Amino acid sequence: MIPLVASVSIRNKRNRGFRLWIPLALVWLLLLPVGLLLLPVVFVACWAGRIDPFRALEVFWQILCGLKGANVEFDNQGSSVLIHVF
Amino acid sequence: MSEHRREVLQMLAEGKITADEAERLIAALEKEETAGAGGGSEAGPKAKPRYLRVVVDSQNSHGYHSPVLVNIRVPMQLLRAGVKLASLIPAQAREQVNDAMRERGVPFDLSQIKPENLEELVDQLNDLTIDVDESHGKTKVRVFCE
Repeated sequence: MIPLVASVSIRNKRNRGFRLWIPLALVWLLLLPVGLLLLPVVFVACWAGRIDPFRALEVFWQILCGLKGANVEFDNQGSSVLIHVF
Repeated sequence: MSEHRREVLQMLAEGKITADEAERLIAALEKEETAGAGGGSEAGPKAKPRYLRVVVDSQNSHGYHSPVLVNIRVPMQLLRAGVKLASLIPAQAREQVNDAMRERGVPFDLSQIKPENLEELVDQLNDLTIDVDESHGKTKVRVFCE
């Protein structure tokens, strides 16, 4: 299952910070037409590079689905950034 | 023969209990033994790791930089998918990569990476723990699976 929501939390000791929720589901929907338009280009590039395009799409999809649950946290004394992919 | 079972048979031989009672006691003992063995085996196998964690804790002693904590959690599914990228490398490029690695003393063939090898590698990551401790800069790096 591809990730549907991402959370970006930025905290600065001066400004207290904020949290931004990104609806990845809408992002995927917006990128879907672009992806469909680029699909022939991807197929041509894979054919030129002698790569199985269906295999490439499968691996790309698995990478996208694997992002779910990823966390990146960076904490400095002055600020902190937390990115969480749901 | 277990000690408890021996005691039951001893009591039967001494006439302290009847044959039916001895049979029930031995059946109860066998039931306890199998339940204990099942509980032990259930606790034995570890759960498959779901995430790879990288934690960097830097307490720089020079005083120019404040302490830094980096905590990264990568799902194992992402690692599996990333390793599968090796299968997309064309044969010609794969040979060039193998030759380059061989020149640098790494005799590894990318074409030998198979799905079952990946699963075995990920399963072995369950016991992976890397601790790097730099005493001067007071930096600790931990890589482990959970």
